[in-house]
Amino acid sequence: MHSQLRLSVMSLLISVKEAEFTFIRGKTNATAGNLSVQVNKLKEAGYIDVIKQFKDNYPQTVCKITAVGIAAFDEYVKNLQTYLHQ
Amino acid sequence: MTREESLQIIQQMISTAKNEQKDDGKGWIVWGWLLFAASLFSFINVKITWLNPYFFWNVLGMATIVIRVAFFRNEQTVKTYTGELFKKLNIGFFISLIFIVLAINVNTLTPVGGFALLINLYGFWALIYGTALNFRPSVIAAFVTWALGFAALFVKTFEEIMLLHACAALAGFIIPGHIARKQFKQTGRKNYNDIISV
Repeated sequence: MHSQLRLSVMSLLISVKEAEFTFIRGKTNATAGNLSVQVNKLKEAGYIDVIKQFKDNYPQTVCKITAVGIAAFDEYVKNLQTYLHQ
Repeated sequence: MTREESLQIIQQMISTAKNEQKDDGKGWIVWGWLLFAASLFSFINVKITWLNPYFFWNVLGMATIVIRVAFFRNEQTVKTYTGELFKKLNIGFFISLIFIVLAINVNTLTPVGGFALLINLYGFWALIYGTALNFRPSVIAAFVTWALGFAALFVKTFEEIMLLHACAALAGFIIPGHIARKQFKQTGRKNYNDIISV
């Protein structure tokens, strides 16, 4: 999560049930290539689920935070809070 | 990236996602004006004995279906928890609405009693919507609508209930809908400015 874009993606996904790749790209202002790389890294860490499917004959990528991802995000925020309270 | 920057990103992204959970009020406004128009035209219709008393309600039914299909297609790129709750709430709302309309049609309910129940149903919808969105105008609207619903128990004629129904549409959907739309536009603009300033 120690990258600006990965943290943005996690912060977005923690607040919603699931989001399409295009939605995340729009909200983070990232390029498709960069976002794709970071999304894959989050997926490999088990923080998010990436579902590739078709909707109205168009490919659609949906991202969803996992229980592992929620725990990791929670831990990350707690660490930030600890630092700020020092 | 410093810890302060991390916190700033988290706050901005959560705020962005929160905006997705806000309602733009478009649906309330359209539905509210349809109900308002149908009530008012029905009132005039009965006063001047023009068409069948339920003519404008039949028009409303058809107009609702056409507008829903043509203008409110589901093209969301994000699913929120409140969005999912609203979907279920709206399904429940329309099933209850159809139930009451059917009850009027098969004479289980009188038209005046049926419309009084509909007004109460609008109050229930407004309360849940307002609470879930933390949107105070809708919560206030719920209680105003319920007050109109209780008043409806004491009216005797179809004309009177149509006027009360028009007031309920105004209080329960149109006014909070326009306030929600105004707030949605303001928040959207603020979030956009926040994002481009990062």
